[in-house]
Amino acid sequence: MANIDELTAAQVAAGVAAGDFSAVEVAKASLDAISKRDGEVQAFLQVSADLALAAAEKTDQRRAAGEKLGPLAGVPVAFKDNMHLLGTRTTCASKMLANYESEFTATCVQRMLDAGATPMGKANMDEFAFGSSTESSAFHRTNNPWDTERVPGGSSGGSAAAVAAGEVTVALGSDTGGSIRQPASLCGVVGMKPTYGAVSRYGVVAFGSSLDQVGPFGRNVADVALAMNALTGAGRDPYDSTSQDCPVDFLEHLEDPVEGRRVGVVPQLMEAEGLTPEMRRAIEGACRMLTDQGAELVEVELPNIASAIAAYYVIAPCEAFSNLARFDGVRYGYQEPGCATLAEQSSLSRAHGFGEEAKRRQMLGAYLLSSGVYDKYYYPAQQVRTLITNDYKRAYEKCDVIVLPASPRTAFRFGEISDPTQMYASDLFTISNNIAGNDWASRVRAAPGTGLQGPEPAHLRPCRRARRRRHHARARLCREGG
Amino acid sequence: MALTKQDVAGIADYARIALTPEELDEMTTYMNNAVDLVEPIREYDLEGVEPTFHPIGDLSNVMGEDVVDDSERHLPIDVALSNAGASRDRYFRVPSILGTDEGDR
Amino acid sequence: MFYRKHYFYPDMAKNFQTTQGPVAFCMYGHLDLEVAGEGAAERPDHVATGTDVVAAHDQAAPVVVDKAADGSYTVPIRILMEEDAAKMVHVGGEEGRIASATESLIDYNRCGTPLIELVTEPDLRTPEEARLFMEKLQQTFRTLGISDCSLEMGSMRCDGNVSLRRRGTTKLGTKTELKNINSFKSLHDGLEYEICRQAEVLEEGGVIYQETRHWEPSRKRTVVMRVKETADDYRLFPDPDLAPFDLTDEFIDEARARIPELPDAKRDRYVAELGLKRKDAVQIAGDPDVARIFEAAADGAGEKVVPTVANVVVNLLPGHDAVTPAQVRGLAGLLAEDAITFAQAREVLDAVNGTDEDPVRFVDERGWRQATSTDELAPIVDEVLGRCTAQVEQYKGGNKKVVGFLVGQCMKAAKASGAAGNPKLFNKMLTERLEG
Repeated sequence: MANIDELTAAQVAAGVAAGDFSAVEVAKASLDAISKRDGEVQAFLQVSADLALAAAEKTDQRRAAGEKLGPLAGVPVAFKDNMHLLGTRTTCASKMLANYESEFTATCVQRMLDAGATPMGKANMDEFAFGSSTESSAFHRTNNPWDTERVPGGSSGGSAAAVAAGEVTVALGSDTGGSIRQPASLCGVVGMKPTYGAVSRYGVVAFGSSLDQVGPFGRNVADVALAMNALTGAGRDPYDSTSQDCPVDFLEHLEDPVEGRRVGVVPQLMEAEGLTPEMRRAIEGACRMLTDQGAELVEVELPNIASAIAAYYVIAPCEAFSNLARFDGVRYGYQEPGCATLAEQSSLSRAHGFGEEAKRRQMLGAYLLSSGVYDKYYYPAQQVRTLITNDYKRAYEKCDVIVLPASPRTAFRFGEISDPTQMYASDLFTISNNIAGNDWASRVRAAPGTGLQGPEPAHLRPCRRARRRRHHARARLCREGG
Repeated sequence: MALTKQDVAGIADYARIALTPEELDEMTTYMNNAVDLVEPIREYDLEGVEPTFHPIGDLSNVMGEDVVDDSERHLPIDVALSNAGASRDRYFRVPSILGTDEGDR
Repeated sequence: MFYRKHYFYPDMAKNFQTTQGPVAFCMYGHLDLEVAGEGAAERPDHVATGTDVVAAHDQAAPVVVDKAADGSYTVPIRILMEEDAAKMVHVGGEEGRIASATESLIDYNRCGTPLIELVTEPDLRTPEEARLFMEKLQQTFRTLGISDCSLEMGSMRCDGNVSLRRRGTTKLGTKTELKNINSFKSLHDGLEYEICRQAEVLEEGGVIYQETRHWEPSRKRTVVMRVKETADDYRLFPDPDLAPFDLTDEFIDEARARIPELPDAKRDRYVAELGLKRKDAVQIAGDPDVARIFEAAADGAGEKVVPTVANVVVNLLPGHDAVTPAQVRGLAGLLAEDAITFAQAREVLDAVNGTDEDPVRFVDERGWRQATSTDELAPIVDEVLGRCTAQVEQYKGGNKKVVGFLVGQCMKAAKASGAAGNPKLFNKMLTERLEG
């Protein structure tokens, strides 16, 4: 068989189905790639070789028995380590959950397995998904495969890096404020944050319940579309009450020309402070590429977008405080030994189990939710959310997609951004879409590196919500990191 | 209206996060910076704007069937207890909740 | 909309409880309570107790409640839905109390199950009213079929709150909350104790602390469990994981259409249409199972027999859970025509319980039918009065109770002669003769 980093997910599945190579061979090739490259990249927290080989063997047996194989048959997949998979630990890259064995399997993971995917292991991340560089992982950093002195982005940095390094074909990440799109951008792969509710959150350790969304990484748009079909095809998940039916075939319009499509640009954001000239040039280049193919550029306004950072850093920490309150060392997780009282045990378990950023976010949330303070910040933040959502609604009356940078800069060096609030400010372009619940695909413009797919004109049609008319793709274009 | 160290210590106490004196200093600096970052939220004219507590604005009345879930989704007791730091028989176990010095009144 | 209420306590697996916020499923609701006789007379105006009070209306001013002419009160209530907490066992302390426990064990099996919490305004004035209120609630919920409402099994639970105020003032004092109430009697006795305890503390110039107290039924006292020094800040905010629930008019109409006849309406119908004694009507209407058997038994019984059917259902049925409505009807017929005594009826019921025996045939086969004609019994009365001269003298001397002995003699004599007796009739005849 060919090198697995030269095969698309569809090619792997087709090859396995046709018997050109077996799922076990693909799994072994992926394990080889991991053992060769992951020492340097460190994308994985846990490689589930036994699970992978068992799943691949089962796929091969099903083929031998003449059964129809799934669309991801034999495709090696990595899961962000905040997703439960029976037989693996789910650590959220935290000392708090260092030894936590999954007690069940998340719906998103199960759907990938149901489609025939081979689970290669759990990918590194910022602790509990708090961060944009994967530097807050309690275990180790992950290096950008393009330049190991630079961060892969975050919080789904391990997932993005594993795909970029050719260790797996597809990976799942989660995105609360840009945690799929930004690392996809920094690692030069395609990532998609689906519309809120399109993919079940059941079994994914929650960060911000009204913002979190699971989505795929791939080396090209088609792989991401294939994964999206697997994630949403079975309809809404009754175990997640915010889960919605997403009756869209993501592959259907993949080859449609972009001619005649209206592409929205936001001049106000292109002038934003902090957007580096090279990133700006990349966006402009992407827009040119689209107009060359017949798309029409339309200027749109998002008047309230500047308030997104403030709204997000109210809503997300509040939800995070609430969601992380359960980690007190009683039912699972790190438990401080030798405590005489429960209060002492919880306070010390949380103090020693959580890293700095996890503590900061929870402290901020606990303050913002307290009585008297709630009315000053939380309530207005949700009102601002209405304004931002309306901004997008109005903008999408004028265009089919909006082009935005996923990050104000390309991949930065480790330790380059040490002030947490400065790190927060770099989420400017991504978080407004979490606030509004929009979908967004992060696309590579050009990836002049070994083993990566080049750009291909494609149009992602996202989930169409029955009761909503907003159904436009956001093809995200930017250059690779480094 | 800056947050004092005492304020931050009170929040930490509530949030059950023990902080060393140095951590308390750092946390106080952080909290004040973070509050500054979100401060603009108070400067908007939001008169008459409805809040959006949920990104799916019209989502309501999501209910499951009122039947016993006979799928395989039940968590067996031994699995539920397997990640616990302390358990006994079929229970999770925690140290004294009030301490043992509180008497009757 | 559902809210998250945060507090670090291990009875919640997530350290927050999903509950309802400012808008609950039922607001400004009410339950009508009949406080008659002693209860009404007892209604002083310096004690207020509430059941299951949550923090939301701490220290609310007492609501002025209109007292209707028939002695019934309207108790304002609020009902919200929230999730149940885990069951905790405190080990190493006295009587399973948390205060002196060295460790606690937690069972999360019921944690997260939905429940409804009903809160009254601080309006109930006496322990008896609180008990009546809970009984009424239990009856209503059982009739609605939403719960078996067993305090013992924990499918209905209750906390009592007590705050006092000085006669003539309007502001309620600091309240205490009572836990470990596992029967209506516990509720009554616990509140009674707590009212006296608070009154004593206040009379001695002491202070009531806002605290949770544990009722110890074996020692008949309450002891402090937990002191609330400051008002808790629960960091309430709308639950982002749960969609809001919209109670549409259609939903409400549909739910309303499914409400069966409630105990009060049933009771009034029994009294007005079936001629039941109010006391019997209250008792039957209060229990849906009892009401069901009563209505089946009354169906087809003569108009005059129906009150006797009620009598049988109320007084004889308890302890006989395998009696059919037809058997009740047959038995009531026998009693109504005075063919058997009440004591015999009980015997008949014991015998036919769980069988398909017809009580009428059962009585006839054994020749238990008692005489109903005075002519038949007169010779026996004559014989006994003639024989028992000493007792007759005692009666005339003022000892009216002696008639009981004479009835006994009559029954014995009847039995000896193989005739059917009738104690009620003997009593009547003897009294007439002795007085005459």
